[in-house]
Amino acid sequence: MQIELKTSLKALEKAKKLGPKGVLKRLDKMGVVGRGGASFPTGRKWKIALETSSDEKFVICNADEGEPGTFKDKLIIKKNAETMIEGILIAAYTIGAKRCFIYLRGEYDHLRIELETKIKEIIKKSGLAVTIEIIRGAGAYICGEETSIIQSIMGNRGHAMYKPPYPPVEGLWGKPTIVNNVETLTGVSQSILFDDWDSSLRLFSLSGNVENPGVYEFPLGVKMSKILDVVRSKNKIKAVSFGCFGGFMKIKKNMEITHENICKEGCQHGAFSMIFIDETHNIVDVSYTIAKFYTYESCGKCTPCREGTIRLLERIKQVKEGKATKKDLELLKEFAEHVQETSLCGLGQSAGNYILTGLKHFKSDYLEYLK
Amino acid sequence: MKIKLNNKYIRVKEGETILDICNSKGIKIPTLCYHKSLFPEARCRVCLVEMNGKLVTACSTFPFEGAEILTKSERVIKARKRNIELMMPKNISCDIHDDFEICDIFKEVGLNEERFESLKHYKADLGASVVRDNNKCINCGRCVQVCAKIQKVYAIDFVSRGFEEHVAPYNENHLADVACIRCGQCIVNCPVGAIAERPHINEVVSALKNPKKHVVVQTAPAIRAALGELFRIEPGTPVTGKMVTALRKCGFDKVFDVNLGADITIMEESAELLKRVKTGGVLPLITTCCPGWILMMEHFHHNLIPNMSTCKSPHEMLGSLIKNYYAKKNKLDSKNIVVVSIMPCTAKKFESTRKELKSAVDYVLTTRELGRLIKMKGIDFNNLEDEDFDPALGISTGAGAVFGASGGVMEAALRTAYEFGTGKTLTNVEFKQIRGMKGVKEGKIDINGVEVKFAVAHGGANILKLLEKKEDYHFIEMMACPGGCIGGGGQPIYRDPDVLRKRMEAIYQIDKNMPLRKSHENPIVKKLYKEYLGTPLGKKSEKLLHTTYIKRSRF
Repeated sequence: MQIELKTSLKALEKAKKLGPKGVLKRLDKMGVVGRGGASFPTGRKWKIALETSSDEKFVICNADEGEPGTFKDKLIIKKNAETMIEGILIAAYTIGAKRCFIYLRGEYDHLRIELETKIKEIIKKSGLAVTIEIIRGAGAYICGEETSIIQSIMGNRGHAMYKPPYPPVEGLWGKPTIVNNVETLTGVSQSILFDDWDSSLRLFSLSGNVENPGVYEFPLGVKMSKILDVVRSKNKIKAVSFGCFGGFMKIKKNMEITHENICKEGCQHGAFSMIFIDETHNIVDVSYTIAKFYTYESCGKCTPCREGTIRLLERIKQVKEGKATKKDLELLKEFAEHVQETSLCGLGQSAGNYILTGLKHFKSDYLEYLK
Repeated sequence: MKIKLNNKYIRVKEGETILDICNSKGIKIPTLCYHKSLFPEARCRVCLVEMNGKLVTACSTFPFEGAEILTKSERVIKARKRNIELMMPKNISCDIHDDFEICDIFKEVGLNEERFESLKHYKADLGASVVRDNNKCINCGRCVQVCAKIQKVYAIDFVSRGFEEHVAPYNENHLADVACIRCGQCIVNCPVGAIAERPHINEVVSALKNPKKHVVVQTAPAIRAALGELFRIEPGTPVTGKMVTALRKCGFDKVFDVNLGADITIMEESAELLKRVKTGGVLPLITTCCPGWILMMEHFHHNLIPNMSTCKSPHEMLGSLIKNYYAKKNKLDSKNIVVVSIMPCTAKKFESTRKELKSAVDYVLTTRELGRLIKMKGIDFNNLEDEDFDPALGISTGAGAVFGASGGVMEAALRTAYEFGTGKTLTNVEFKQIRGMKGVKEGKIDINGVEVKFAVAHGGANILKLLEKKEDYHFIEMMACPGGCIGGGGQPIYRDPDVLRKRMEAIYQIDKNMPLRKSHENPIVKKLYKEYLGTPLGKKSEKLLHTTYIKRSRF
């Protein structure tokens, strides 16, 4: 896999030769974009942080992958933490940050000691006057969102803040901060060193009703049939859920997995966590689990997400128990849309996807359960 | 910058939020979690507007060049309504909660359809002088913000997450058991009335009904400047005469004036100041009229106990005199006297339970409670005639009146201290440099060759600022609430900080219209010292008018 290629501090050397502006140019040229889901060009994010003048700047590596069905960052930290750390150092060098943080998912605490040793080693070798601190998450899903990470590192409640101001302008303690995830920062190192680095190769976390779950590397545009061939399943797969937040998509074997095609189906790919669901399951049952997840993981700050997610759970439960009517489905749709439209952060803004796409593509599953 | 607002092109300044723009153009946008004196957090999502097809919150969004904003589209109205429905699944009766912003919201946005059942089942925290009911709470976070940012007390914060998120004191304790200063700023900032004062109306009403009890009421200087607001009288209109009439109609046997207590406080405090300056006592001397500040000091800064004046607060002084001097003079048994103080303050409720003060005051009602009592008794407040306080303990000076505003205690003390210290007459009695809403105010005055430096702070955050440089001064006045007592936690709920300015003006207007403006010129004060107390800081004064403080834990 490309993600496993080690750069052994040569990328940092090259970055120093290129200079900050050269690094930004290189990232743009290689097509490096954020791998968290928004696909924001990394060079552009860094440019804003570079151009904002401040006495102090920060880099945060987001290693709090909390999306259900995602486990690719764990693999990277296990197999190629060196390259990721180098990516952090390159980021620090480029924007002029002295303090960096790795926000490590609480559940990955067993990786911490080894990671700490590697950090010490690499910083020593690199000769940069930079510190990297590991901050342990405490298990909140919302803390995978960049503004919440910032709040959490500052010691506040993990609450999302509205944007703008964006973190590259005003982040940690009001100073320019860049937040990139593990996969992005690893890609940064690799893209700087290797001229043949392929920006379209992505990590897919595949799980669900399949025989070969795991992390795979595919190029964007890969056919769905190819993915299904690799993971194999006993029963016919009818749907794929992109984590919890991306929504349900009907399986079309000839579909090419690209950003545009997935959006066309009303879904969001995020960090390509794909949970396959076979025909023995009803989408309503899966939705019930997802609804519970959102109700629990909402941070509680804004009204539509705090109060809306529990109402969605309430109605889904009603459907599942066979107590709902068609009118309840309308209400479900109305409030799923409402939560999406009016919530403050990405969590709430995607907290209705599973209902909207479920009702769109798998209405029969819902109708089956109606009174 | 040009934008299109409700299909009209307008020019706007950069750095203004959509809400600012709409307010300046007279377009009303409903808000709940937004408050002018706080930082917008965009929690409640009620101020939604449509900007280029997207729903955004007006309080936190800055429009971009050429943005098209709709404030009244059907989509906007529906989205606002749904958020209200989510946070308040059951309609509340606005007849009862007329004070609160949520009622305006119901009027603006329209009532709910009640499609959901209420799911909150919290136990109300009714112990302290500030009570909370999380079942009414809509998590707007204003109480948390005002406690942390304006008061710097950090008594409450959000705990838990998701639907279970709620406001609670440290470790989910009762408010009575944590380092809360009872200032009540959370109450006046709450849009739904989920936080309130611990009510004492029932106790007062039953005392009024009891023929054996001689019920005496005394009203603080800040009440008369704000009580009218509860009866839809323009903010900043003094209603002293109507208030006295209303109190008599409520059935109180005597209506006394805390302004007199303030005059007595000044006699004691200025004597204390002059003594400490002359004899090299502990300086700076810090005022102790504000029970919120006293609690703050006891919890967080108890190293300052030697600096604190030992004077009781004015209503406790007067209460003490009522139960001793007044009782004796009128041959009443002090056990049968019930002293009720009307205060702009919730911390005074706590103060009246302090053991050191020997329950000189039995019950404290806030301004809001008095409003409720008057309404309850069916009194047509707006059409009342003016009456005067009972003369026995009801004559006061302008110096007593200014106690209601931040800087007032200082000003009143200086008027007396100057004349006591120098023996000369002070011609210009107005100390303009310590008036107004500025957070920390300071000045100096020459008393017999000694340059006495003084400073004033109001609001917890400003108090902390002043404490950092306290050594520079001889005399410091601290008030826990923004604006002093006029902005107290027991005052009518206000939305516009400008109301505080208006109340302040009313206070200074009252002072200006007073024939006597210096505490020591008050004939009753003179009589009291001659007949009963002796001299300021004398034996009897020490016993009746002074108190002690204790150390309290931060947790």
